[in-house]
Formats: sequence, C-alpha cells, structure tokens
Amino acid sequence: MSRFPNAVLVAAAALLAAVTSVSAQDAALGEKVFARCKACHAVGEGAENRVGPHLNELFGRTAGSIEGFKYSPAMTKAGEGGLVWEDETLAEFLAKPKDLVKGTKMAFAGLKKEDEIANLTAYLKTFSANAASGAATPAAPASDAPEAPAEKKSEAAPDAPETKAAAATEAAPAEAAAEVSEEVPSHGVFHLGRPATEDEVAAWDIDIRPDGAGLPEGRGTVAQGETLFADQCASCHGDFGEAVGRWPVLAGGQGTLMNERPEKTVGSFWPYLSTVYDYIRRAMPFGNARSLSDDDVYALTAYVLYLNDIVTEEDFELSKENFTSIRLPNEDNFIDDDRLSEPHYAANIEPCMKDCKPGKAEITKHAAVLDVTPDSVDDEENTGGGID
Amino acid sequence: MSVVQKGGAAVASASRRQFLKAGLAGGAVAAASTVAGGALAAGDPLITEIQDWNRYPGDGVDAFPYGKPSQFESEVVRRNVPWLTSDSISSINFTPLHELDGIITPNGLCFERHHAGIAVVDPQQHRLMINGLVDTPLVFTMADLMRFPRENRVYFLECAANSGMEWRGSQLNGCQFTHGMVHCVMYTGVPLKYLLEEAGVKTSAKWIMPEGADASAMTRSIPLEKALEDCLVAFKMNGEALRPEQGYPLRLVVPGWEGNMWIKWLRRIEVGDEPWHQREETSKYTDLLANGKARRFTWVMDVKSVITNPSPQAPIKYKRGRTVLTGLAWSGNGTIKRVDVTLDGGRNWVTARLDGPSLSKSLHRFYYEFDWDGSELFLQSRAIDEAGFVQPTKDELRAARGDNSIYHNNGIQTWHVNPDGVIENVEIS
Repeated sequence: MSRFPNAVLVAAAALLAAVTSVSAQDAALGEKVFARCKACHAVGEGAENRVGPHLNELFGRTAGSIEGFKYSPAMTKAGEGGLVWEDETLAEFLAKPKDLVKGTKMAFAGLKKEDEIANLTAYLKTFSANAASGAATPAAPASDAPEAPAEKKSEAAPDAPETKAAAATEAAPAEAAAEVSEEVPSHGVFHLGRPATEDEVAAWDIDIRPDGAGLPEGRGTVAQGETLFADQCASCHGDFGEAVGRWPVLAGGQGTLMNERPEKTVGSFWPYLSTVYDYIRRAMPFGNARSLSDDDVYALTAYVLYLNDIVTEEDFELSKENFTSIRLPNEDNFIDDDRLSEPHYAANIEPCMKDCKPGKAEITKHAAVLDVTPDSVDDEENTGGGID
Repeated sequence: MSVVQKGGAAVASASRRQFLKAGLAGGAVAAASTVAGGALAAGDPLITEIQDWNRYPGDGVDAFPYGKPSQFESEVVRRNVPWLTSDSISSINFTPLHELDGIITPNGLCFERHHAGIAVVDPQQHRLMINGLVDTPLVFTMADLMRFPRENRVYFLECAANSGMEWRGSQLNGCQFTHGMVHCVMYTGVPLKYLLEEAGVKTSAKWIMPEGADASAMTRSIPLEKALEDCLVAFKMNGEALRPEQGYPLRLVVPGWEGNMWIKWLRRIEVGDEPWHQREETSKYTDLLANGKARRFTWVMDVKSVITNPSPQAPIKYKRGRTVLTGLAWSGNGTIKRVDVTLDGGRNWVTARLDGPSLSKSLHRFYYEFDWDGSELFLQSRAIDEAGFVQPTKDELRAARGDNSIYHNNGIQTWHVNPDGVIENVEIS
C-alpha cells in the first residue's frame, strides 16, 4: 500500500502518454465507459465470450470471426464482406451499431458522445497488440494511475495511522468535517459519528415501499419506456422481456407457478410494483447503476407493465400520482413464514434408531446420471435447476 | 509457479548447500552401507534415502510476507458451477467443505455470492449512515466505528439457496456443490444496537433496512427485534480485516438467518415502521410452494448436517478397515444437540461424536469412526438442534413444499459408497 509504486506508475503513464497518441488518461476514462459494455463483453486476461464476444485483440480482427461465438448472420456476413475492426469502423459501430451492421444482435443503442467513443477505443486498444497506434502496454498502469488527490497524499509519510486519520477527515465534506473536529456531538450515548445532512440522506435514501413511500416526483409513458428499454435493457432482458441466456425473464409466465417449471416474472410472480421501480432505480442497467433519471425509471416501469399486459395502451403514463393504484396480479399469493406448521417440525420427537425401514436401501436417483457437476461436463446448455 | 519460487530459493542458498553437502557426504555413505547389509534391505526410499527438504534449507522468513497454503494444497479452492447463473459478476461459488476440518472456515475459502461483483471500497472513503425513524440521522466513518465497544462471535453464514439445486433430486456430485454455500468464521464487530441507540430509534420503529455500497445496492428488511438482539456490524473475520469478497470494510452479521441478509459493503441502515419488500425478499428468497403460494420472510436457517468425508470428492482409497467419517452440523435456532449417522441408508442409526466448540448458530464438527468391511454403504447424517428440531428427509420437505422452493433445503443427504470406495450423490428408497 506504499505510495511509492504509484509514483512510479505516474511517471510511466506520463511517458506512455508522451510517446503514443493514446494517452493513459483516455484509456482510464474509457475503462469507465466500458462499464456499460461489460455486462455482455469481457476483455483482459482470461476474457471469454459472454452474451457478446470477448474483445481481446480486437483491432485488426475481422468482424464476426471469433470461433465458437454465435454471431448474427448479419455480423458474419459483414466480416465476409471485409469489415475489419479498426479506429474508423469501430467508431462508426459504437456510435450506432445497427447502422453499420443492420441486423446485429448487439442490442446496445450506441454511444452518443464522441469523446466517449474515443476513450473507449483507447481503452480497448490496450488489449490489442495490433492497435495501429502501437499502444501495446496492458491497461494496468492506466487503471491504477492515481487520480489527482492521490498525488497530494503521496507526500504524507506512508502508512502512519495518524496520517491516515487526518486524510480521512480532509476527504469528508468540508463543512461537516469542520463541525466534528470542533466539538463533541450531543447525540446518543457515546457521542460518536456526526449528524447526516439533508442532502446526504437524500442522496442515499432512494428506496420505495409498496405504499408509495419514497416515490420521487416524475412521470413516464410506455412509449418512452420502450425506447429506453431497447437501448439499455434489451441486450440482457430481450426486446420483449423474454431474456437472453440466463438473464432474468421480465414478462409472461402468468399461470405457471404450479407447473413443473414455473416462470417467475414481474407479471406472474412479483407482489408489488414498488419493487420494480426501486430495483431499476438502484441497480439497473447492470453495469451502469444509478444512471437513469426518475422519469426514465417511471417510463421503464410503465414499459414492464405493458410487457406483462397489466397496462395495454402505449400512451399510458405512470407517475407518482397514479403509481399506487396499480396492483400486480400475484400480490395475494404471498404468505408469511408458516414452516412450523409442517409435520416434520414437531419438536422433541425422538427419531427412530433401529430397524427404521424395511428391506435394503435402493437407489432412486443418481447425481452421476444427470452429470451436471463442474469438471465432468462442459455443456453450457445444461438444464439443471439454477439459482439467480 | 511454485517451481520458479523453489528455483529462486535454491540459487540463493547454493553456496550454503555446497558447504553442507561436503560436510554430510561421509555420513550418508555410512548410513546406506548399514541398510544394504541387512535382511530388511528393501524400504521406502522416502525413509531410506535422504530427501532434499531434509538436506537443504528452505525459504527465509520473508518469502511470503502474507503466508499462504502449501503448494501441495492447490486443489483446495472455491469452485463455481458456471451454468447456474448468467454471469460471474452476479454469481456464486462454493466452499470446499470436504477439504476442511474443525469448525472455522479459512477466510480465503469462504464461499462468495455477489450481485454486482466485488466492490472495491477504500475504508477511508467508506461511510455508514443511519436514517429514517431516528432522533438524529448519523454518519459514521470507519474510525468512528472503531471507538464503539466490540464483540467477538463465531457464526455460520449459509446462503438460503444452499442445496437449492437438489430439490428435484440428486444433481451435483460433491458436498462442495451440494452444501458448500456455508462458512463459519469469528467476527469482530460492534453490536448493531449500539449504533441504533446512538441515533435514537423512535418508538414507532419496527424494521430496519441495511443497504450495501456495491453496484447492486443490496437491501433487505429485517425486524428491529432481531437487529437489537444479536446483529453485529463487523469489520474483522478470523482476526483480520474482512476479505473484499466478504464486504470489506464493513458487513452486517445476522446470526442464524439467511446469508443474503448479511449485507456486505454496508453503507446505510434505514429505520422504518414497515418492511420495504425489496427485490431480494419478493422475487428472490421467497419459497414457492406446490399450491402456487409463496412464503416470504423465511429468515431462519433450519437444522442441517452433511457428511463431508467420505463424500464424492473425497472417496475411500483403501479396500477395508478403519475409517473416519466426519461432517458438519448447524442450526439457526442455536447449538446442535446431537448428530446421528447411518451406514445403511437410514435402517439403523448411531450417535456421532461432537468435537470442538459447541457455539450457538455456528458450525459443529462430528465424527464417527468405524471398521469398513468393504461392502456398499449408504451414508447419511441427521442433526437435532437445541430447540429439538430434527433434520427432515428430502421427501418430507417435498411432501410439504413441492419441488420449486429453491431455498431452505435442509434435507438429509445420502452418499452411496460402492465397494471400490467410489462415492456418489444419490437418493434412496
């Protein structure tokens, strides 16, 4: 944890920036942009194909050419037609994938900002030996390069606990930290911690309850939600909430809960709409959480209702005002924990110790027959009951 | 990798080695001639010949500033089942129970479950907020938390979905995969009640909702009663800082209750008067029954046990004779009172020997030593907890709940041992 290696890296990164056209800073920013891609794409050591192909050695690669990845016919054809990934083609593709390769199954709508495309390209180049700019150095220096405040810290004596504490105070919001250091707070028993400010509580307290507590002002329509969904959600959840691979299915499944393979979706299983709003707001889209506006989340929630036929008009608008009027169909089928009513819970029953069952034990089910244990199978299409 | 390290050490100590070699040569020759002369000339060369490790010094004290297991233990690792989940960022792996003994799980082998990968949080930048129905919403730094009174407690943590893949029948061949979503460590932390008291809980409060700082911002509703009873806000496991994958720098400990509630990277606790019905307590971690109803808020992990050796990943490698059977038992209701084992698939049972500490809501270790006659065995264990609950059979669970509950499968596990000592996960009549 010494700051010394960081100082070396700063120098190395600066040198790299001077020598090549790809500055380390671009790549570092690009790594952040890549957060939006990594739900589907892997890059770096050991990267494998996921929903999308891995992106190692991307530059100079013919489109649709990673063996074993199931490309759309359109992408395979584009590669056969001579499409090779390099600065210009990639920039065009990243701006609007479906414009360059009509029919690509990459559902991502595209990056609107040119600097994001440039930074992402710089980042991906660090994983390509063939990158035209010659930036063959792996991305590690970029991602480890300390940001501005760290340089200041490097002047402090390394690892002295007192110094660390001082740094922590410095990092705290200026006005609040000042208050703490001046006087002992009056709250509580031990007088530890400090009062949270209203802005701080507002920044983190984003949860929604079924009774509507916590809902922000805002509104959004099914139609608006459909556009957002196609851009930000469909790559994992499918265009109609049917899901890609093992990502969660969002729609359908009504009437299947007593089937051999129940389909648990928002429409068929979830008890409360507030959970949909809350979860999208705090954790979606996967890889870029907290990036949607409150209106966006209303629109997406409305679209999920539409996918489940709970609302039927594309101009339906969901808002703080009408939110709690909507009930999900399965709400009444949730019950509190009544395990204790099951016969085998009867406490203090002395279990049988001798001659408990007649005859010799016979095998009725084998794990080896199903053969889904890791190391014994490499079939990714296994149908064993999953968890997620 | 280890070869390289060994090579490096050998070079470093080469001159010393030559020096020693010269001194020892005479002695070695004398020993060899004595053995060669007797009737018991043949012998295990590991004994009769001097081994490298017996002659040359090894690595010095700082070869591994943070020590790690022997190179010969490289198979002792967490493993995952890739087809279970869509992506390793939101996935699970399993503790290698068959390689461990005692009741404490080493930190690096505690199973992982993440919903948006392992958050990297600098403790200096970490904050814990308490808000909601309190007199004074508060923010604590890690340094603040270190000034509260601490407690040390050993608890098991079991994922509610442990053994979840086995509801429809035997599926995975090894206790690591059937039962490895459990671990047990000693936590050091601050009782949550001190933190809540510091903020001043209002009389209308009935629930809390802890929240993680990771990209899933994991949340669960927990009754205030439990929060005040025995929950800890922990920063150490087995004496050292929490591992990043276990929520460094701060996690909630909810003894005896399902692992999903033990929020990692804990950054906020909201106090309220009703549960929040978050995603992980509605669409997940609810138990679908055969009649289409789903149980919610099934928090307690029921009495459970499994034989860890012998087991499919740890077969018997001799023909017959003295055999040590061992396993783990635990219950969210308290201590384990007794564990019975059977060798004939539940026809006849014997009581196993519990050894090691017996702590409430922690793993318990049991043993049963016997002479194997080399014939087919059907091994099972059955735990009874201090509340008097007896571990049920899988058939009893299915009869009560159907096949689609996923969570809370605490049924009795059967291992079939064939005469070659090969072991398989089975279900039996």
